[in-house]
Amino acid sequence: MAKPVILCVDDEKFILERLRRQLRDKFGKVYSYEVAESAEEAMEVIEELAEDNENILVIISDWLMPDKKGDEFLMEVHERYPNIVKIMLTGQADDDAIERAKKHANIQGCLHKPWQEEELFKVIEAGLETLKT
Amino acid sequence: MNDKTIPESKGNILIVDDMPANLQILNQILTEQGYKVRPTVSGKMALKSVQSVMPDLILLDIQMPEMNGYEVCEKLKADNKIAEIPVIFISALSDVFDKVKAFSVGGVDYITKPFQAEEVLARVKTHLKLSQLQQQLVVQNAELQNTLEYLKVTQKELIQSEKMAALGQLVAGVAHEINTPLGAINSAVGSINRFLDQDMLKFPVFFQSLPKEQQPIFLNLLQKTFTQNTLRSSAREERKLRRQLSRQLEADNRIKDAETVASILIEMGIYDDIEPFFPLLQNIDSEKILKMAYQLSDLHRGARTIDMAVQRASKVVFALKSFARYDNTEEKVSADIIDGIETVLTLYSNQLKHHIEVIKYYDSLPRILCYPDELNQVWTNLIHNALQAMDYNGTLTIDVKNQKNQVKVHITDSGTGIPEDIKDKIFEPFFTTKRAGEGSGLGLDIVNKIIEKHEGKISFDTQPGKTTFTVSLPIHQEFNQS
Repeated sequence: MAKPVILCVDDEKFILERLRRQLRDKFGKVYSYEVAESAEEAMEVIEELAEDNENILVIISDWLMPDKKGDEFLMEVHERYPNIVKIMLTGQADDDAIERAKKHANIQGCLHKPWQEEELFKVIEAGLETLKT
Repeated sequence: MNDKTIPESKGNILIVDDMPANLQILNQILTEQGYKVRPTVSGKMALKSVQSVMPDLILLDIQMPEMNGYEVCEKLKADNKIAEIPVIFISALSDVFDKVKAFSVGGVDYITKPFQAEEVLARVKTHLKLSQLQQQLVVQNAELQNTLEYLKVTQKELIQSEKMAALGQLVAGVAHEINTPLGAINSAVGSINRFLDQDMLKFPVFFQSLPKEQQPIFLNLLQKTFTQNTLRSSAREERKLRRQLSRQLEADNRIKDAETVASILIEMGIYDDIEPFFPLLQNIDSEKILKMAYQLSDLHRGARTIDMAVQRASKVVFALKSFARYDNTEEKVSADIIDGIETVLTLYSNQLKHHIEVIKYYDSLPRILCYPDELNQVWTNLIHNALQAMDYNGTLTIDVKNQKNQVKVHITDSGTGIPEDIKDKIFEPFFTTKRAGEGSGLGLDIVNKIIEKHEGKISFDTQPGKTTFTVSLPIHQEFNQS
């Protein structure tokens, strides 16, 4: 009964609100939308959802965050939940970090802020496709 | 065979005496010793001679017809080009010889007649040497002055390159600090435009289709969303409020999909007092109604986000500009010290955000004559050191005190403190506790020099858990300020 979840992680609330708006506009009732303001909070949310048997399908995460950076966070997620589609969204391109995330977190893609809506949806849908196989 | 018996000239000496016999004696004494001598019989001839050939020393008789020695000397000293040439007076013992006058017109010594050859030679040698040394001194001073200017320029360049290095480290964070607001703006504008293109024109028909009694309720719902600023609620708070709201909605079995409805209401900023809006939620078309309300209210949220994002980006750009500006003038300008400190805090806002508590106590300050860019470097250095000392976790306290004729800025961190054994080294150039490549070690040295340039002082007090650097600056203001 529970809807699959798309989780957005960014230290800026206004980014989270905008992402959520775009996703709700595009996907509507198909998904539930969750947001978290840090990697730490995101982990809490992931665990709560797991307990409630709710399925996270997609995580979109910022890279430059005060505590744990996005690449490290996504690598940790990948270790425990390899089947989640992981996407990095960054205002600052640290090439090493992106490489790391591609290699060890198997991210579906890395987008740069300001991001194009269409591009974001394309990457999400491509990722969801891979889950079907 | 070349017989070079004539030694090179030890100097050019001009002799002035109206008695040819005296000229001859002196000529002989001096020429024998290798000096080049020019004898002249009158003051007039002497003055003419110096215009064509500059002597290194002048021997000047006093008693002469037409122009006496004192007058000749005065004329010599009046001309800047020849004033530096030492003048030795020669007088007969029997003459009335005014030593005071001799020195006052610029003579450096006197010889009395009859004179001993050795005495003449000794005095001539001494004064030539003195004159030569003085000239060397002038040249050396000029060289030192040049070197000083060069060092000043080099120091300025060093400070600038330190600044650029610090800037380089900040740029990474700054790009993020600007791109993030841009991302929000871009996204908000996209959503607003899509609504205006696709859904706006549907509104009149939609509103008409609402039952008459639900129309004001719909408008009230919108009104309520306008008063909320969802950015003030954290994600955590929102989740909690959503759970509460969801439970409340589930209790009413006419409301479908309570979870989703609750999510949407929370996103709109509707956290409680939901009962008045139940009719809308119980309506068969509740999904459509809620969607329209959500989209309309989001115009407001989007606009507010754009506003905030623009301010945020402007602040960062301004801070960056202030920080990177190369101050080419040597003049102080009137500036607000607190603005400078706030500029630096803005540039570090990303690093300060989560685990650092920033406490500020700002006295009210007048604008002060200073070099604001260089003071910004001071704040940057001290704040950066403070953050590193705390490992980006702790409390940063900035206390600015107005003490009538001086300003004191205290920057305190809650880090482990400065060890006893390095306390007196930290201001030394090239001293650093960081690993190779992580810092030039020039930071505090440059900070010190900048503060000295402001005639200020820097000191620190340290203990585990509390280290405070204090910068005091004298308050100099522009004249037209009260």
